[in-house]
Amino acid sequence: MQSGSAKSSQTLSAESAHVVELANISKSFPGVIANRDISLQVARATIHAIVGENGAGKSTLMKILYGLHQPDSGTIAINGVITQFKSPSEAIAAGIGMVHQHFMLADNLTVLENIILGYEPTKYGVLSLGDARKRVKELATSIGVDLNLDLPISELGVGQRQRVEILKVLFRGAEILVLDEPTAVLVPQEVDELFTNLRKLVANGTTILFISHKLDEVLSISDQITVIRQGSTVSTVSPKMVDRLKLAELMVGSDLPSHGKRTTLVGEKIQLSTNKLTVLGKDRKNPVENVSFKIFESEIVGIAGVDGNGQFELCEALLGLVDIEGTVEIGGKDASKLSIRERLDQGLAYIPFDRHREGLMLAASLWENSLLGHETSLSRGPMIDFDAAKKSCREIIDRFGVMTPNELVPAFVLSGGNQQKLVVGRNLATAPKVLIAAHPTRGIDVGAQAAVWEEIRRSRDAGMSVLLVSADLEEVLGLSDRILVMFDGEISAELDPKSATPQILGKYMTGTQ
Amino acid sequence: MTQSKNFRLFVSLLAALAIISTVRLWTSQDALTSSDTIGTALRLTVPILLAGMAGLWAERCGVLNIGIEGMMIFGTWFGAWGAWQFGPWAGLLFAILGGVFGGLVHAVATVRFNIDQVISGVVINLFAFFGVRYLSELVYVGKQGGGISQSPPQKWALPRFNLPILSGGQIAGWKSPDFLGWLELQRWFILGDLGGISRGLTHNLSWATVIAVLVVPASAWVLWRTRFGLRLRSSGESPVAAESLGVKVNHLRYYGLLISGGLAGLAGGTLSIVASSYYRQGQTAGRGFIGLATMIFGNWRPSGILIGAMLFGYAEGIKLVASDSITALFLFIAAISGVFLVVAVIRRKRVQIAVALSAFLLSAIAYRTVDTVPESLTQALPYLVTLIVLATANQRLRPPAMAGVPFRPGEPH
Repeated sequence: MQSGSAKSSQTLSAESAHVVELANISKSFPGVIANRDISLQVARATIHAIVGENGAGKSTLMKILYGLHQPDSGTIAINGVITQFKSPSEAIAAGIGMVHQHFMLADNLTVLENIILGYEPTKYGVLSLGDARKRVKELATSIGVDLNLDLPISELGVGQRQRVEILKVLFRGAEILVLDEPTAVLVPQEVDELFTNLRKLVANGTTILFISHKLDEVLSISDQITVIRQGSTVSTVSPKMVDRLKLAELMVGSDLPSHGKRTTLVGEKIQLSTNKLTVLGKDRKNPVENVSFKIFESEIVGIAGVDGNGQFELCEALLGLVDIEGTVEIGGKDASKLSIRERLDQGLAYIPFDRHREGLMLAASLWENSLLGHETSLSRGPMIDFDAAKKSCREIIDRFGVMTPNELVPAFVLSGGNQQKLVVGRNLATAPKVLIAAHPTRGIDVGAQAAVWEEIRRSRDAGMSVLLVSADLEEVLGLSDRILVMFDGEISAELDPKSATPQILGKYMTGTQ
Repeated sequence: MTQSKNFRLFVSLLAALAIISTVRLWTSQDALTSSDTIGTALRLTVPILLAGMAGLWAERCGVLNIGIEGMMIFGTWFGAWGAWQFGPWAGLLFAILGGVFGGLVHAVATVRFNIDQVISGVVINLFAFFGVRYLSELVYVGKQGGGISQSPPQKWALPRFNLPILSGGQIAGWKSPDFLGWLELQRWFILGDLGGISRGLTHNLSWATVIAVLVVPASAWVLWRTRFGLRLRSSGESPVAAESLGVKVNHLRYYGLLISGGLAGLAGGTLSIVASSYYRQGQTAGRGFIGLATMIFGNWRPSGILIGAMLFGYAEGIKLVASDSITALFLFIAAISGVFLVVAVIRRKRVQIAVALSAFLLSAIAYRTVDTVPESLTQALPYLVTLIVLATANQRLRPPAMAGVPFRPGEPH
């Protein structure tokens, strides 16, 4: 157990100007250079944001700081003392805590158990639960968090889980907090709450490293911003000196494609519609209840909603993965009884929620991945036409700017953004009539996001109908021609993106209006 | 909250006792709650209980253990060998070591080499079965009373004792009164049954049984009250999270599987040392798998596993001691299903209503029409009871989230 000695050395060197000082960090993985000569200085009790495209090397850098990876060269200095972390526990001992993008919590264990795990107060190996409870309560109060410590994690909402993660890190005595994409899963109101907590933390003397690619949030919360591009630091700026556009340019390294007003008109023909669509929940409430909507030719309809309000089940129902009541029509024809294959043949395409779970075979090569769903068109009889499949994959790589050495590497070597470009490309390459795009740009950087948006817009202008499911309000507002809000399995509002704001959407999404 | 929970438990236990007491008086089948039946039931409960606890330790640390049956076979063989050579206590130790060996094999295969956990378990079962047959060929063939499928009988047995004052145990040579035995003989409503049941649990007890039952609270305490236990459970719930906090998941999975194997070995040892006095091929008779079933029934909790194992032990005990009483047991099942039926109707759970109703009708009809139960049916009864209870006791099962999923430390996730 890490005791007071590490702590006292920290207080001794408290005068050191920089809490964290990374100098000339380089790290490469087979075939990829993740970090190249990165230097970074973080001042005490500030919020320091690190922004960059996905695959720019932010996460790798933070994993090096947290001891999950070891740098090939370069040094890490904490409170002015050069250190090497061979494992997370050494980083924890030095006062560094990390809140991961994907929560690292055990669903069946209680809040208290999750918080103390790995740093348990014990007496002869027996847990001192009363003592632990008291300390966690104190911590929670100090940053303004109220939690029932005896609930299992599975009963908490996303925002609460994130609080547990933060408490977990603080419980270990962390004075340097690394937050990896903390707002990716939150609705605007929850983001405000989080920021309030973070400001209290900083006031208590904690230093926060904030990784994000949501530029507005970065600008509003941080004291310093370091921009990373393609593995190297571009510059460190103060949020007062830059605006959103400038920051985005630093990140991408070139002028951003503008949003662009649409020049074409929404068509007359209904391409996808549902009538009183209900997905039956077996032992629970119906996840989708009485949903009716129409999408016209050349139209993007955005579905905004907090994850878990039936969007996933709605997509499954449209694809034919679950039993439904009510009807689904594709291209004006009743598709309720059709199999998945038949629906795809009617011109349906699907960009799935989770590219790792539903979109890709991570261990398979890119060309095999791009072949998925198109086996019939890229084969000769029962045999796959290798040359045609590889050629089609190369076309996708070129057209969508997938950064990869070639089409033969396995999918897991690509960064998240490039994986997503491949998935999007696979579905747009065949010019489908209807595209269901679920979180098409989740967890990918601004550059890749702009590319994906541009491609979706272009296909829309060419006549494609799009059902866009997203929790990213900027995306929903920027891309949609019409917005539906889904709350608790039902469509709770229909809005015009021109007049809607994130705040209005947030209210409908959380059922407060 | 806990107080009202305890109160509910107390009331439902009393209600079950009242029902079975009524059935006993009505049918004059005293064997339903006689100390004989309960004592036998307890002896039959022990190996299943230990097998269930073995499953618990393995799955709580994140590894499925289909190989419990095989580890029990190791336990029976090595236990019998140790008891034959050095006496019963050494025998139990050897049984545990035999099981630990099985657990170690499973750990090396699944944790070190990432072999599929189910396949490894099945292989251990096969390997144990044929491996001990080979050992018997080497060691037992040609010895007095031994052969390829059984060991020579052991000379000593484990000591047994009665609880003083309550069940007529001895205090320094003085034979104390057998109060519970007297109470049982009175055959009073509820009190008589209470006497029989308590005497069955305290009379002619083997020390091995006491140890086995103590495994339950000991496991619960270690798993939920110690640092080791919390870390072990976290390895089964979310190894990625545990690793990120510096918990050495794979080490804990080794420990979990060694403990699991040791308990399975002890389960085998009780079969070849306590329940009998020699090793016999096929002695485990699928109890490892029944243990796994009680683990699921018990919702991966020690107390639940204890209840599941007792239920099974009781059904099997009554079959052995008094097959006449089986017909009375039908009545008991009918009465219990009736209660379940009422509860299910109140809660409007369709599946539960259907299951409880059919169990009620079947057992009622069986009681009215069946005078003698065919041998094969009495054999199947314990399994049948388990099945019915599993189906009616609808609960929110909470298996360890990552049990069965291999974990490779340090990989990107």
